Amino acid sequence: MGKLTNFKRSLWVFHASGGSCNACDIEIIAALTPRYDVERFGIKLVGSPRHADVLLVTGAIPRDFADKLRRIYEQMADPKAVVVVGNCGTSGGVFYDSYNIAGPIDEIIPVDVYVPGCPPRPEAIIDGVVKAWLKLEKLEKELEGKKE
Amino acid sequence: MTWIESLTLNSPSGFWNPIVWLALLIVFAVIGYVIYSRGNRSYKPNTDQVKPFLSGNEVEDVEEIRVRAGDIYWGFIEALKGYYNVLMRMHSGDLRDYILWYLGLGAIILFILVGGV
Ligand code: SF4
Repeated sequence: MGKLTNFKRSLWVFHASGGSCNACDIEIIAALTPRYDVERFGIKLVGSPRHADVLLVTGAIPRDFADKLRRIYEQMADPKAVVVVGNCGTSGGVFYDSYNIAGPIDEIIPVDVYVPGCPPRPEAIIDGVVKAWLKLEKLEKELEGKKE
Repeated sequence: MTWIESLTLNSPSGFWNPIVWLALLIVFAVIGYVIYSRGNRSYKPNTDQVKPFLSGNEVEDVEEIRVRAGDIYWGFIEALKGYYNVLMRMHSGDLRDYILWYLGLGAIILFILVGGV
């Protein structure tokens, strides 16, 4: 059998909320509740970026939070993917061009998947995480390639 | 008595043998190496990636957030500041300085005792 190079483990997710109104966050929680129950696929929220494969970011990111978000991103092990949940993080949303906003998020850290909506439905968030999974498979293959 | 028995120290509660100890050390070193070799090699040293996670906050220097043992003597050192400032400047932590002091003072004492003034 050939060598398996795809992402061979459950997907652990760290959620960083940067000035969100909480509605996006509550939809992420909804994805974990029995109705959607993403944990049955191994998608699990973890308490530290050191354990996470995916960084889920919500909110427009106030200026004071930008360096913290950068640090959280840097503390994740490779390969890693970033999913932005909600219009706030994607474009600034209703806070677009506000004086105290450092976002949109892709101006602070590299973003792999955008999940638009205000707030997006849990189905959309799950879809975004699955897209991140595909990206991680690609990155893992690249890392494996580098090692050989 | 075999040579391995001659190295064994028996006591009522057990025995001690350096060869057995060495063998155990090697076994644990191999286990340690196997665990180490399975670690993630893609980590980046000298970045935030190797620092503890503190909700995204910068990890402060422990000296700034802990009470140090030296702080217990704070009042004492503060009261005798003049004396300690001189003493602390001399206390460089460099062994060569201390040997120089030792030789210098030794020479002076020898001069006084033997040479006589
Ligand atoms: S995108 Fe909408 S729901 Fe999400 S944090 Fe911003 S305002 Fe709230």
